Amino acid sequence: MTKTLRNALLGAAFGLALAAGPAGAATIKVGVVAPFSGPFGVVGKSFKEAIEVYQAEHGKTVGNDTVEFVYKDLDQANPAQSKALSQELIVKEKVSFLAGYFFTPDALAVAPLIDEANIPCVIFNAATSAITEKSPRYVRTSFTLWQNTVPLAEHMAKQGIRKAVSAVSDYGPGIDGEAAFKTTFEKNGGAVVDSIRMPLKSADFAPFMQRIKDSGAEAVYAFLPAGPATLAFAKAFNDTGLRAAGIKFFGPGDLTQEPDLPALGDAATGITTSFNYSRAHDSAMNKAFVARHKEMFGSYDTVTFTSVGAYDGTHVIYQMIKNAGGGRIDGAKAVESVKGMSWESPRGPLTIDPDSRHVTQTIYLRTVEKVDGKLENVEKQSFPKQPDYGYKLAK
Amino acid sequence: METMFGIAVDGVAYGMILFIISVGLSVTLGLMRVVNLAHGAFAMVGGYVASYAAQNAGLPYGLALVVAVALTVLATLPLERLLYRRIYGSANELAQVLLTIGLTFVIVAGINYLFGPTLKRIPLPEMLTGTVELGPKAIPTHRAFVIGAGAATLLGLWWLLERTDFGIRLRAAVDDPAMAAALGIRTERLYLATFALGTGLAALGGVLGAELLPLEPYYAIRYIVLFLAVVAVGGAGSIFGSAAAALALGIVDTAGKYLIPNFGEFFFYVALILILFRWPHGFFKGRAA
Amino acid sequence: MTSVAERPDPMTDPMSRHTPPAARRDLGWIGIPLVAAVGLAAYWLLPDDLALLTRIAASALFVLSLDLVLGYGGIATLGQAAMFGTGAYAAGIVAVNWNSDPFVMLAAGGLAGGLVALVTGALILHARGLTLLMLTIAVGQIVQEVANKARDWTGGSDGLSGIDPAPVLGLFRFDMFGRTSYLFALAVLVAGLMVARRIVRSPFGLACRGVREDPLRISAIGGSPKSYLVALYGVAGVFAGVAGALTAVTSGIVGLDSAGFPWSAEALVMLVLGGTGRLYGAVIGTAAFMGIHHVLAASDPFHWMGFIGLFLIGIVLFLPGGIASGFERLGALLRGKENRA
Repeated sequence: MTKTLRNALLGAAFGLALAAGPAGAATIKVGVVAPFSGPFGVVGKSFKEAIEVYQAEHGKTVGNDTVEFVYKDLDQANPAQSKALSQELIVKEKVSFLAGYFFTPDALAVAPLIDEANIPCVIFNAATSAITEKSPRYVRTSFTLWQNTVPLAEHMAKQGIRKAVSAVSDYGPGIDGEAAFKTTFEKNGGAVVDSIRMPLKSADFAPFMQRIKDSGAEAVYAFLPAGPATLAFAKAFNDTGLRAAGIKFFGPGDLTQEPDLPALGDAATGITTSFNYSRAHDSAMNKAFVARHKEMFGSYDTVTFTSVGAYDGTHVIYQMIKNAGGGRIDGAKAVESVKGMSWESPRGPLTIDPDSRHVTQTIYLRTVEKVDGKLENVEKQSFPKQPDYGYKLAK
Repeated sequence: METMFGIAVDGVAYGMILFIISVGLSVTLGLMRVVNLAHGAFAMVGGYVASYAAQNAGLPYGLALVVAVALTVLATLPLERLLYRRIYGSANELAQVLLTIGLTFVIVAGINYLFGPTLKRIPLPEMLTGTVELGPKAIPTHRAFVIGAGAATLLGLWWLLERTDFGIRLRAAVDDPAMAAALGIRTERLYLATFALGTGLAALGGVLGAELLPLEPYYAIRYIVLFLAVVAVGGAGSIFGSAAAALALGIVDTAGKYLIPNFGEFFFYVALILILFRWPHGFFKGRAA
Repeated sequence: MTSVAERPDPMTDPMSRHTPPAARRDLGWIGIPLVAAVGLAAYWLLPDDLALLTRIAASALFVLSLDLVLGYGGIATLGQAAMFGTGAYAAGIVAVNWNSDPFVMLAAGGLAGGLVALVTGALILHARGLTLLMLTIAVGQIVQEVANKARDWTGGSDGLSGIDPAPVLGLFRFDMFGRTSYLFALAVLVAGLMVARRIVRSPFGLACRGVREDPLRISAIGGSPKSYLVALYGVAGVFAGVAGALTAVTSGIVGLDSAGFPWSAEALVMLVLGGTGRLYGAVIGTAAFMGIHHVLAASDPFHWMGFIGLFLIGIVLFLPGGIASGFERLGALLRGKENRA
């Protein structure tokens, strides 16, 4: 077989596979790339569980088509590997959708692929604002640092706080958070007296605590990736007496994500965060969601923000399949069909913003409290209809 | 002046924690010539045992600490017989690296399977919470406790290696195994005992350091560079060297992070390169203690 | 430590004089065409797995660079990714800002990797053992931190995206099926193997082996052991840089992980798994490690680490020269039978 002939055959086969879509009952595959092993393995687990909960509630078929999820493990931020796995999903598994993506670089890596293959990519987490600008086929059902930080900074200013300091991990999302905080807080009359960027691999946070103390700020805005760093930071905040000195602790809700709360223990109580989802959100839909999760997996310990990111992402994918009406999935058209779509989610009302293709949602102000012997993020206040303030803001 | 004092206190406190979690590696690496990359995994096992003993079995902190050290030593002794014994000797460096990485992977997977991926904690007794005042500077009581424990470990190890029969035999066996064996020193037992000492110290560090380096399955891999840095700077096998190195690195890291936090990561590694450039064998070379 | 102890153990050391040199030469000669043949066969047999195969080819070139320093120079390093990452970023930056021809990118990567290796090698190669390990780790961490800080050029932790390599020779576009990517990566790997083989068999390569086995003798006959090692480190840096650039070309994005400690450590594991000091051992080790990872991660991502850990322990205990030494033993066994027959 000559190479040209072989390529032609392959191309034809691929074309046929695509064209075969509408004819009767077909299987529509969704490829999910997420960490299932490694330090962030719990993320992939929560994605998978949420998808299974959604399928248990809404069935595995849309019209005549069966929806099947294919999972790929990407244990850490590794964009080259992310691209290879996504390519395999498209070429080998013939998926009609890509989904998942926990880290920003992993999501960015697939932009050329989804454009060439004309496949929609529904991001369940990766939170840097700039991602959805890179391809018109991205849709995101999570949050951005800007989205969470703007209402929080406004709230802090309203509380009468005039001097604040920001302390963020020195990487993309942290820097996003720092910029969002500084812009908003200063616009509302406050002053950011120090902007501390902490190396991602820091183990000891005592020096930063000393710096926060010395800055004379009344409050600190902190952002670190969830996990050991957050725990060490919150502990240091308590142990070095900053809390006792009356300095107020604010941050996006990644800091107090539900699976970490038991380990944070009493160090976490009283921390005020802003976020798009709390497991303790008081709505019938959320209670049903958590209950079904417990029923299916024995416990709801892993239910957190990544769960609703995946749950709502799955909903958007189902809607795109519905909108295609049994026809084959055309990426550009599918994304077009969900622009402006509104629905009720366990976290509250959601709308896909037609420009940014990111969800406009309610951001809640929460405080960590003990509920029935279990630490939860208890919602105190809500800021409805928050868009992604960071869209098209960066250069 | 107050700032300098604050940096010094925080630096010493951090350095002592670094010392206590790294000194076990200095023992295995310096005295047994084994590049034991599973050191972090042993520390983690100790931490998990203590966490389980304190949280699920309800033991008090001190008892949990003792149980953790004892169980970790017991659990790892068979490894010496089955695995480590085959790779002693400096000609086997690559085999040691590969084998101990493999062992680390297995332990990480095992811990992940048994305890799940979420963070675990070792609850502190009332006595060790809160802060103590050191002039103008307040440090967490727990850290003050670790500084004391570190100093005690330092002295205890010095006594053990320099002043006891065990220490003399061990140093003889390290310097010239063939001659030591000819003189009737039972090197096999000696190595087993030293290995137990190394893993016991690892477990102790894992428990005491858990406030700073939180327990989760990837602990074993996440902090191994930190441990290796302390041992390399201190000079493998030197107890005082490890202490000096840990304090120096602790202070440099603290000062860098306080003064120029945005470039905090650079200080640690630039200091590492400069020190190793000046003292390629670490601060204290070749001495057992 | 005595000088006797520093000499490689003949039982585990692949380069020892105990292996008949003729047998070694035969295998080395067969190795390269074999890699090319198996690589091409994989292209036809596994057309849906080209993404994985491309990653294996590019990673194998990186592991090959590590074999040059470790297997032929005896330099134990855990910072080889510093050169890989530098090469990848250099290629990416050149492509995004100036010229996206894949060969220009490879050249830029090789140049950058080689330069970093020469400069850092001159600084750190006086050390041995654990000290050297630590110094190489420190260099890697600093390179990674520089990449994190230079966000305007590298994209920081978001990664350097938007690399769109021009078609190879203006003819073959990098398509989403990964055919061009794979054949390009395979060609670069085979070329790299040939060049590496020339280098290790040249007088320079032999001198490096001499340094590894007996530095004193090299000094005695008037050579400077350190300058040989620095030169070798630089050459290996070029290979690592090209491998990084190759990854940038085939994946279109560069992340901070490409300069990270885990990547250096993983390369070391892959090399020792395959067998050091053989060149093709790097290819075998990479293919085995990444292949196993791929299969296990697909079937049971939660526990693949346990399996690979057991596998590593098994290799150390039962096959100390790596997988390649297993093939060699098998080969020797077969030859032995033939001779008897």
